[in-house]
Amino acid sequence: MGERLSAYAYIAPFFVIFGVFGLFPFAFTFYVALFDWNPIGDQVFIGFDNFVRMFGDPRFWNAAGNTVSIWALSTVPQLLLALVLAHVLNHARLKFALFFRMTVLVPYITSVAATAIVFVQLFDRDYGMLNWLLGLVGVEPVDFVQSTWGSHLLIAVMVMWRWFGYTTLLYLASLQAVPRSVFEAAAIDGAGPWQRFRHITVPSLRPVIIFTVVTSTIGGLQIFTEPLLIATGAPLTCGAVRQCQTLTLFLYEQGFGQFEFGYGSAVGVALFVMVVAIAAVNYLLSTRIKAD
Amino acid sequence: MKLRSPLLCVTAVLALLTACTPGGGGGGGGDGKSFEFWSFAAINQKLTVDAYKTKRPDIEIKLTEVGTSTETAQSLTTALAGGKVPDLVLIQGDNLPQFVEQPQNFVDLRTLGADDIKGDYLDWVWKQSVAKDGEVLGVPTDVGGMAVAYRTDLFAAAGLPTDPAQVSALWPTWDAFIETGKRYKQATGKAFTDNAATSVFYQAVNQVSEKYYSDDRKLVYSSNPQVRAAFDLGIKAATAGITAGQSSFESAWSAGMAQGQYAAVSAPSWMLNTIRSTAPDTKGKWNIATIPGGSGNWGGSYLAIPKRAKNPQAAWDYIKEMQSPKGQLEHFTRVGALPSTPSVYEDAQLADSKDPFFSDAPTGKIYTDSLLGLKPFYIGPDSAVIGQEFLNSITNVEQSGGNPATAWDDALRAIKIAIGE
Repeated sequence: MGERLSAYAYIAPFFVIFGVFGLFPFAFTFYVALFDWNPIGDQVFIGFDNFVRMFGDPRFWNAAGNTVSIWALSTVPQLLLALVLAHVLNHARLKFALFFRMTVLVPYITSVAATAIVFVQLFDRDYGMLNWLLGLVGVEPVDFVQSTWGSHLLIAVMVMWRWFGYTTLLYLASLQAVPRSVFEAAAIDGAGPWQRFRHITVPSLRPVIIFTVVTSTIGGLQIFTEPLLIATGAPLTCGAVRQCQTLTLFLYEQGFGQFEFGYGSAVGVALFVMVVAIAAVNYLLSTRIKAD
Repeated sequence: MKLRSPLLCVTAVLALLTACTPGGGGGGGGDGKSFEFWSFAAINQKLTVDAYKTKRPDIEIKLTEVGTSTETAQSLTTALAGGKVPDLVLIQGDNLPQFVEQPQNFVDLRTLGADDIKGDYLDWVWKQSVAKDGEVLGVPTDVGGMAVAYRTDLFAAAGLPTDPAQVSALWPTWDAFIETGKRYKQATGKAFTDNAATSVFYQAVNQVSEKYYSDDRKLVYSSNPQVRAAFDLGIKAATAGITAGQSSFESAWSAGMAQGQYAAVSAPSWMLNTIRSTAPDTKGKWNIATIPGGSGNWGGSYLAIPKRAKNPQAAWDYIKEMQSPKGQLEHFTRVGALPSTPSVYEDAQLADSKDPFFSDAPTGKIYTDSLLGLKPFYIGPDSAVIGQEFLNSITNVEQSGGNPATAWDDALRAIKIAIGE
């Protein structure tokens, strides 16, 4: 009896901490979303008014659109790049393979704030290196931060730079589980590099590709630090016309800029629903692919 | 043992959590010999705290430099909502209204004797910390004061006068300021000022007698002709081609300042330090002229005592000593923050102070003069949001190709959504 109970005691610390710091704040968000909640003033129950307001709020839809745009701009190129890099790093004749495999992780361990400072300077309108290079070929300076597509591109590049190494390593790890003899046999049979990539690398990575699509989608919905740091003139809105304000940044602006905790929580609930919906779609897709 | 130790662990975790739960209830109950003080970082508050310690060696002060003024206000909000509050906290003027709306969180300083010292302070500064039933929540520690800092070398190159009196005479009004900008642009082809939103609109809109709220605390931002006039000035500056399109404090703004990309910048007194540290190589190339419109203020902070403070009396003693006219004058000589107590404006230590970085401009006199013409207006809970949307709309025209003809309506629409009116 004691033996059986002790197992629960061993796992209890996790569940207690998860309950206090994970589950409770999570459930409490749903509760707060039903209130006009001033953290240092009155808390008035208003039912679903926050959600009604949210669906009619162009700022919310703008943030949702920005989030999807930034996600697509960063995820698709990132996964393709990682796929190609993993294929190259897995090559039998690659010199200094360990060195390259380790250096792809360097962006991942660099602080996001430092990354943002450097990239904002690279992309600056007046003093940025990118605009200097564009100027050499006669292109007028581009104001990346102040334009919608430019700011999305800038954030996407930062996200991509940070995560491609991590994704590459995931792909590489599962590529190494594929026996090298398969590649060698294909090469002997006359398959070229592209054919080997297309018919061996990609199919054998299918499960891990699905995994990275799911995680990068969920991560993409929560992009926060990069947009917060690029438009220092109006950080909480990521620019004068909210051109790169993501959903999490909108949530933060409402909660901690305007102190409308109820409305901010409603945005949080909406974000949760989106993440669950995307996870469900991914799950359905992946079970179908596995069944094929 | 197998069973007991994990259970102990769980108990320990639970005990820790209970310890973290905030205690409710009222204030007081401290030892009266110490207090906790939350201030902003990088404003040299420690110097003044140390000065107090030499006067009152029996008092222990625990100074925490929380971060920027906004971060300090956010931490204070969290603390007030349910956490350990400091005994004394510095609140920046922009963050003050949200706290004034909820006076139950703070000690009404009238109970400690605020009415006795009220007369020492500028009335329009004092009024901003008075809540709806007359509760006094904060004592003003300093004010911004307004002037224009300009580059004498760049002005000379453009054929403009460089003497501060003559430069001030160039722009009695904001329209004249914009005209001067056009002359500068024509002569040099370069931007005259940094941006339209903060250097023009933000200053002009603070020179009104009534701003976003009427005196009886009703929203009038959309119908007040004074606000509209200030906004139109901002748009006029943004479309005149005289701005560098660099928003204040962005990294390109700092680089632009160091490189002389713009020749004039609206400068509250605390901005002089920013210029000094941002563009140290421009020492001696600056001078200071009066602000168009004659008066202005940007910035200034308040000291407040949270209701649940353990040592309110010790904190009040500190305010009374260090924020007295004499205390603020000493603070000015230490860090250059402009006093909120007009009785010391004539004092030689202030009136005769000169700044070598800015060609020996008599900064003390220029800034205190700019404070005397200001009128009090009510700042309400949504003032900050309204102001931000107006600024955003002007920046949009200046930097993102927004349509100047619809900018006013765009701003009003954005404000309506933001404040849920």
